[in-house]
Amino acid sequence: MTQPPRSPWVDRAIAAALALGFVALLLGTAGDLGYARDEGFYFNAADRYAAWFQLLASDPRAAVAPRAVDAAWSVNHEHPAFIKSLFALSSHYLHKKLGLFAMPGTSYRFPAMVLSGLGVALVYLWGAAARGRVAGLVAAALFAMMPRYFYQAHLACFDAPVVTVWMLCAYCYWRSLRDGGTLWPLLCGLTFGIALNTKHNSWFLPIVCGAHAAALELRALITREDHEEPRRRALAALGAMALIGPPVLIATWPWIWRDTFARLREYALFHLQHDYYNMEFLGVTYWTPPMPRTYAPVMTAATVPTITLVLAALGLLSAARTRLGFPLVSLAARLGLGDSIAWVRSRIARPRRPPADPAATELLWFLGIAAIYAAWLSPKTPIFGGTKHWMTAYPFLALFAGTAFAAIARRAAIALRRAGRDTVRAHLGRGPLPVLLLAAAVIAAPVVETLHAHPFALSAYTPLVGGAPGAATLGLNRTFWGYTTGSVVDYLNAEVPQRGTVYIHDTLWPSWEMLIRDGRLRRDIRGVGTVAGADFALYHHEQHMLDQAYQAWVALGTTRPAHVGGLDGVPVVLVYRATRLPPAARPTPDGQPP
Amino acid sequence: MRWGRWARWGFTLIPVLGLAELGGHVYASHRAPRFDDWAAVRAPVEALKQPGDLVVVAPPWADPLARRALGDALMPLRDAARPDESRYPAAVEISILGQHADELAGFREVARQERGKFLVRRLENPAATRVAFDFVEGLRPARVDVRGTEPPLTCPWNPSARVVAGGLGGHPTFPAARFECPGGVFFNVGVTVIPDQHFRPRRCIWSHPFARGEIITRFHGVPLGQVIRGHSGMSWFVERERKGAPVTLTVRVNGDEIGRATHRDGDGWAAFEMPLGAHAGATEAQVEFAVSARDYQHRHFCFEADSR
Repeated sequence: MTQPPRSPWVDRAIAAALALGFVALLLGTAGDLGYARDEGFYFNAADRYAAWFQLLASDPRAAVAPRAVDAAWSVNHEHPAFIKSLFALSSHYLHKKLGLFAMPGTSYRFPAMVLSGLGVALVYLWGAAARGRVAGLVAAALFAMMPRYFYQAHLACFDAPVVTVWMLCAYCYWRSLRDGGTLWPLLCGLTFGIALNTKHNSWFLPIVCGAHAAALELRALITREDHEEPRRRALAALGAMALIGPPVLIATWPWIWRDTFARLREYALFHLQHDYYNMEFLGVTYWTPPMPRTYAPVMTAATVPTITLVLAALGLLSAARTRLGFPLVSLAARLGLGDSIAWVRSRIARPRRPPADPAATELLWFLGIAAIYAAWLSPKTPIFGGTKHWMTAYPFLALFAGTAFAAIARRAAIALRRAGRDTVRAHLGRGPLPVLLLAAAVIAAPVVETLHAHPFALSAYTPLVGGAPGAATLGLNRTFWGYTTGSVVDYLNAEVPQRGTVYIHDTLWPSWEMLIRDGRLRRDIRGVGTVAGADFALYHHEQHMLDQAYQAWVALGTTRPAHVGGLDGVPVVLVYRATRLPPAARPTPDGQPP
Repeated sequence: MRWGRWARWGFTLIPVLGLAELGGHVYASHRAPRFDDWAAVRAPVEALKQPGDLVVVAPPWADPLARRALGDALMPLRDAARPDESRYPAAVEISILGQHADELAGFREVARQERGKFLVRRLENPAATRVAFDFVEGLRPARVDVRGTEPPLTCPWNPSARVVAGGLGGHPTFPAARFECPGGVFFNVGVTVIPDQHFRPRRCIWSHPFARGEIITRFHGVPLGQVIRGHSGMSWFVERERKGAPVTLTVRVNGDEIGRATHRDGDGWAAFEMPLGAHAGATEAQVEFAVSARDYQHRHFCFEADSR
C-alpha cells in the first residue's frame, strides 16, 4: 500500500511536542520524589567535575594538567563521564548562574529528563518513519508510560539516558542502511562514542548491529538478492562505530586521557567482575550465583503494562510471519525440501517476497530486545538492578507494540467500512474516531498505572501479579536505593524535635543532604548512620535489610512504626520513633497515641 | 463465513484487553486496606485476644501495619521476634487478601470476626507446651552472672551501657542493659534480635565466643521442666557465606553437662532439645550456657532457650 508523502516537519513538531510534554511531566512530578542512592554518588561526582569545568574556563592549561584532571575525574571513575558532565553543567549554569530551578536537586536531574524526553521523541520518529504516525505515536506513549522507565527518567542517573543514547545510535545505524550517504554513518560513530561514555550497556551495540549486518548477509545468501549496496552501507556504519566511537569516548572522558588502556581495563573489569548485591525474587534473596534465569522475563511481565507486552508480542509475531516466511521457504527450496514444507507454506509462511526494507527494521528491533535479554540467561549475570539494566530493550518493545497497534487500527477501519457502505459504522471507519478510541483503550491502563505508581514506582507491579499487594505477597522486591525517604519528609519535618536525629538507613548521605538543600527537609534535622541513640529511624523495606528494622526495634525500644509510606496499602518505608521521646504533638491518623 | 467474521472483528480483543488491564489495576490497587484502615482491627483483636495469645498477620508483609495499629502492648517484641509458635496456647490471626499464616496451619479456629477487609480469627494451638522458664526473659542480674574461662574473667551487668548498632551489614543492636565483658564491645551478653535465614526476627541472647575458652552465662534458681529446648543462630549475613568456624553451645545443669549443640554456618535458626534426665522437675537449678569456637572471628552467635 502506498502511503501519502508526509511532511518531515510535522513529524519533527510532533516529536518536539512529545519531548517537551514528557520533560514537563517529569519536572512537574520530581518534587515529591526522593533521591536514589546512586544519585548521591553522582551529585558528588558532578560537583567535582563542575569545579574542573570552571578551571577549564578560567585556566585551561592548569585544567588539563594530569594532577588536576585526575583530582576531578578519578571521582566515580567506575562510570563514564558524559552524563555526569551534563549534571555538572546543568547544576552550575542552569541553577547556580541562571536560577532556573526551584530545587538544586532538579538541576542535576534535568539533563537526564531532557534525554528521556528525547528518547520518547525518538521512539515516535523511528516508529513514524518505519511504520507510520499512528505506530509512532502509540509506541512513544507506551514507552513513556512504563512505570519503571518513568521513574528512572526522573533521576540523575545513567539508566534512562543510556536508553536514549543507545537507541539513537541504533537509529543512526538504521538510517545508514536505509538512506545511505555519509552523514548517518558518521552520526552512528559519534553516537556510539557518546553511548560508550554514557554507560557500559553500550557494549551491546556492536553486538546488535554486527549481528544485524551478519543476518542481512545470510538473508541475501538465501534469497540470492543483490546485496551489494546494503552491505556497503552496513559496513560504513559499523566501520564508523569502530573508528569514531572509541576516540569520542577518550576525548570526552578526561580520566582516561592518561594510562588509557590500564584505566579502560580497570573500568571494564569493574563491570565484568561486579559485586553481587542482594535482590529478592519470589521470596528468596539472591546474593551470589546462580541467579534465577527467569528473573528478567518474569520481572518484565510483572512491571511492564500487559497491554504493551501483548501488542509487542503481536508486532513481533507479525514481523516474523512477514519477514521470515520468504527466506525460509527459499532456503527450503534450495535444500530440496519444497514438497515436505508445502503444508507449512500454505498455513503459515507467505511465499511471496516481503515488502522491500533494506534496513531490515524489525530484525534490528528484535535484536535490540533479544541481545539485551540474552544476558540474563546466564546465571552469572547480576540481578540487583531490578528492571533498569534491560531498559534499553524497552523502546524496541514499544516500537513493535506501536506497529501492531497501527495494523490493528487499519483492520478496525477496514472492518467498519466493510460493515456497510452507508451505515454509521462505515462512516466511522473512514474517520479518525476508531483509531482514537482504540488508542485510548490501549493507552489508558499504562497511563493510569504509571501516574498512580509515582513516587513509589519501584514498588509498582502490574495487575498480572496483583499489583503492589500481589507482588508483596509473591515476594518480589519492594524497593531499593533508599529513595522513598522523599515520601516521609513531611512527617519528619512535623515530628522530629529541634536538632533531632534520624537514622537514614539506605539513603546515601548526599541524597539526604540534597533534600535539605532543596528545602524539602528541615535544616536542623540531623541524619545519623546508626540507630543507636537516634530519635527516629527510617527503614526502607528490602528483605535482606530487615535486620535494620530489628536494630531499630532494640535501639528505639519499640516494634511499632510511627509512620508508614507506601503504595496501595503495601508498606515501603517505615519510620520508627524512640519511646524515650515525648508523645507526638498530634495524634496518629488512627487516633491512637503514638 | 463464521471464522472470517471472527477474524475481521478479532481486533476488538485488544481494546478489551486494555480496558481489562485498567479494571485489573483499579481492583488490585484498592484491594488491600489503606494504612489507616488498620485501626479497625484493634477492637476485634482486643475482643478475641486472651493473655498469652500471639498476634499473627497474614500476609507477613502487612505485619508492620498491624504493629502500627496495635502497638507494643498487643504485639510486643517478645512475640514479634518469637523463636517459634510452640509455646503459645492460641493465636489471633489478622488476615487480609484471603491469606492465612502458614505457621498456624495446625491451629483450630475457635472464633472469628470480620471487619471490612479484615478477617480476625482466634486459633487454638492443639499442641501448646507450657514453658517452665524462659531464659531470654530471665536474663537479669538478680539471677544471672556471666564469665569467661581463658583467662578467667567476669562480665559485670551494666544497666545503662552505650547502645551500639552495626548499621548496614553490621551486627545487631547491643541494648543498654547487658553484661559487658573485657576485650571489646562484641564481647557482651544481652538480649537482641537477629535475622534468621528467611530474614525473620529472632529474639535471643547474644553470646559472642572469646578467642579461647568459653563464655558462660549462668542462671540461678531456675525451675525446670523435662527438657531444655531452644534455638541458636547468627545474623544470616554472617553465616550465609559458610566460612566461619562451628560454634558449640554446651548446657550444664548443676554442673552436669546435659547436652551440646553445634551450630555450623548455613544451619540458620536451628533448634536443639536436651532432656534433663535426673534434673527434670527441679524447682531451683543452676543452668549454664557455655559458648565456644575454635576460631572466634565473626561468630555473631545468639541463642534462646527455655525449659518445658
